[in-house]
Amino acid sequence: MTGPESVPARGVAAAATRLESFSYDDAIVRKFLFATILWGVVGMLVGVIIAIQMAYPASNVAPYLTFGRLRPLHTNAVIFAFAGNAIFTGVYYSTQRLLKTRMYSDVLSSLHFWGWQLIIVAAAITLPLGLTQTKEYAELEWPIDILIAVVWVIFAINFVGSLIKRRERHMYVALWFYLASIITVAVLHIFNNLVIPAGPFTSYSIYAGVQDAFMQWWYGHNAVAFFLTTPFLGMMYYFMPKAAEGPVFSYKLSILHFWTLVFMYIWAGPHHLHYTALPEWASTLGMLFSIMLWAPSWGGMINGLLTLRGAWHKVVDDPVLKFMVLALTGYGMATFEGPMLSIKSVNALSHYTDWTIAHVHSGALTWNGFFTFAMIYWLAPRLFQTDMYSKKLMNTHFWIATVGVVLYILSIYSAGVTQGLMWRAFDETGRLQYPDFVETVARLVPMYWVRVVGGTLYLAGAVLFAYNIVKTWAKRPAAYTVPVIQAPALSKTFVPEPLRPGVDVPATAWGRFVNMTFHRAWERMPVTFSVLTLVAVVVASLIEIIPTFLIKSNVPTIASVHPYTPLELAGRDIYIREGCVNCHSQMVRPLRFETERYGEYSKPGESVYDHPFLWGSRRIGPDLAREGGLKSNLWHLRHFENPREVNAKSLMPAYTHIITNDIDFASIQKRVDVMAMLGVPYGDAVGKAPDMARAQANAIADDLVQTGGAKGFATKEVVALIAYIQRLGKDIQGGPQSATAKGGYSRSPATPNARQIASPIPAVPSTIAPSGGGRP
Amino acid sequence: MSLTQIMSGANLDHYAQVSLVLFLFAFVLICWRVFSPRFKATYDRAARMPLDDDNPQTPRRGGE
Repeated sequence: MTGPESVPARGVAAAATRLESFSYDDAIVRKFLFATILWGVVGMLVGVIIAIQMAYPASNVAPYLTFGRLRPLHTNAVIFAFAGNAIFTGVYYSTQRLLKTRMYSDVLSSLHFWGWQLIIVAAAITLPLGLTQTKEYAELEWPIDILIAVVWVIFAINFVGSLIKRRERHMYVALWFYLASIITVAVLHIFNNLVIPAGPFTSYSIYAGVQDAFMQWWYGHNAVAFFLTTPFLGMMYYFMPKAAEGPVFSYKLSILHFWTLVFMYIWAGPHHLHYTALPEWASTLGMLFSIMLWAPSWGGMINGLLTLRGAWHKVVDDPVLKFMVLALTGYGMATFEGPMLSIKSVNALSHYTDWTIAHVHSGALTWNGFFTFAMIYWLAPRLFQTDMYSKKLMNTHFWIATVGVVLYILSIYSAGVTQGLMWRAFDETGRLQYPDFVETVARLVPMYWVRVVGGTLYLAGAVLFAYNIVKTWAKRPAAYTVPVIQAPALSKTFVPEPLRPGVDVPATAWGRFVNMTFHRAWERMPVTFSVLTLVAVVVASLIEIIPTFLIKSNVPTIASVHPYTPLELAGRDIYIREGCVNCHSQMVRPLRFETERYGEYSKPGESVYDHPFLWGSRRIGPDLAREGGLKSNLWHLRHFENPREVNAKSLMPAYTHIITNDIDFASIQKRVDVMAMLGVPYGDAVGKAPDMARAQANAIADDLVQTGGAKGFATKEVVALIAYIQRLGKDIQGGPQSATAKGGYSRSPATPNARQIASPIPAVPSTIAPSGGGRP
Repeated sequence: MSLTQIMSGANLDHYAQVSLVLFLFAFVLICWRVFSPRFKATYDRAARMPLDDDNPQTPRRGGE
């Protein structure tokens, strides 16, 4: 490891050309580097805490530190704080050097850095407070979303501005990956976070049900693609050749890798919604594109690994290369498994289980984590202009983290497959072998403890990493040397370069075409290119998503489905605030083992008033789509008070604060009004929502007293939450509505009972039009 | 006539085929460009770009 290049550096030897002098801004890279390390340790620590909470439920500290509120904090911290700052570190370092220019504006760089850290701090405060939009990886509420959009645009201007003032004609492939990521993330973020505020930190998604789910997983999958994959691939194409001290194995392959990834990734999102109420054509489209992604992903991985051809002996000696090799191997494993999990029949087993969690972590801990460690270990001696503090600690970190990853993913793969198989097991009489859901969770607890050990080892490695970097920083010189680079500016008039020395490009049109003169012309228009790319991304996305919005046959309406009563809506907001969706799905798939366990499968038309949708992606607790009316109000009250008193093996945290907190009746009107603005037919409820809520709350409180409970719950939050849960799945059951529901709007006549749980093949109510994707 | 009716009435089935052909054409063009031997030297130079932080790699002549 050596310091920076000699000072002053040589410029290009071109006597006739006027050379410009400039220097690279490494101070901003150092800032992002420290932010990466800090948030990495914090995010991983929160991960270990929630891992413990799953193995040992008493470690939930309500209200602020429960699994439901901390899980989004963990995901946001590791994705947007740790990986995000790592991306900015790598991008700011490599972009300047690949373009032979300083960043466009130091002020914008600084605004970008501090703005992003402000967002992270805001997230760390609001998420434990329960201020959430609930959609995965898009939980942050609307004021923070606006800040994210502003900071991202600052980053984009700074990046594209640097492209414009570059002194290198060709844009290296890493820069293409960066640009695609910047543009796509902006589009994803804005479209998925379109909400109508109902208060300073409350809002409702403008989309509902199927459309919201589609939008969310179009976003969610592409957050993985364009936040955790393409920027890291761009950095891989810069830092891997740097560390291996040789060019990438095949530059041609890297170009194909780029184009195929950006063409395909944007379509893959629907594979998160197999067998749900999403139309089947969309889910099949998502599956096919996911399978096609196998090819470019593995092409890229092999390209990265083969960059080490002739240099494998260095891997033994250089911890940076060790981390990089393991990162690329992890990328290969995760991108092999991803397409496999997107195949519907595999997904039927894996969905809602820990298999997904194992898949995510095998990718994130190795590809994103190990790559970030490698990159920072490579950068530290260069940025701090001294040798690494300890190479031995780097090796120790590598082995601790590797063992941690192995323990984590082995235990959680086992947990996922175990639970998936238990859910679908039938005994010889054709009944569910494990009808009690909690049996399938209790079986996982030993594996959850192994995960705690694995995660702790990984965290310990990260702490060693932080220590090693800080110690290296402490050895820095009193003042950093800033090399002055000299290079000529790109001329305004472009002369096509000869393909072979001495052979000029023919002046004919055909000659210009086969020599790709037009391509060189395109390369000179980064802004035009960015705008056109933006248009292409938006159009491609809309072709996939708009049909579910605007073609009626895709979401058949159900006459008996009505809006939530004002009290149920307030209860739903508590459900969202507590992050219940992190453990409970509300989406019964049309698979026999699901309909046997939960009842009639979910229809697209059932969630048309769900702003946002709450289908969920994971079942640590049972599905709740058909929960309404299954248990008494009193059971729910006792269950919230102490779940383990009702169900000894339950992993659910106790929610005593819901029982003592008062319902905010005053805010209910505003919530109903916003829903009405979004097109939910509230009719009479607009204007008298709090009164209706009080009436329904009194009815539930009376019922609690009659069934042997205590008095005085009529104004408590728990009553609203019970009202919401008792409503779930009732709409398509027909018959009299829940006795507690006292809506002020008209209801259609009773519909046939759809939930003949006893019958082996559930009947589809005749009022429901054939659904686009469901199958019995 | 609402947008919903227009979208439902438009036969969007063709869009998938049209985009398939467009994407395939773009892909073939990219492959041709990437694997054409006449660009080998250009790519070999581009591949070395990360290795030198001080000197622009793109060759210049004339006013460049």
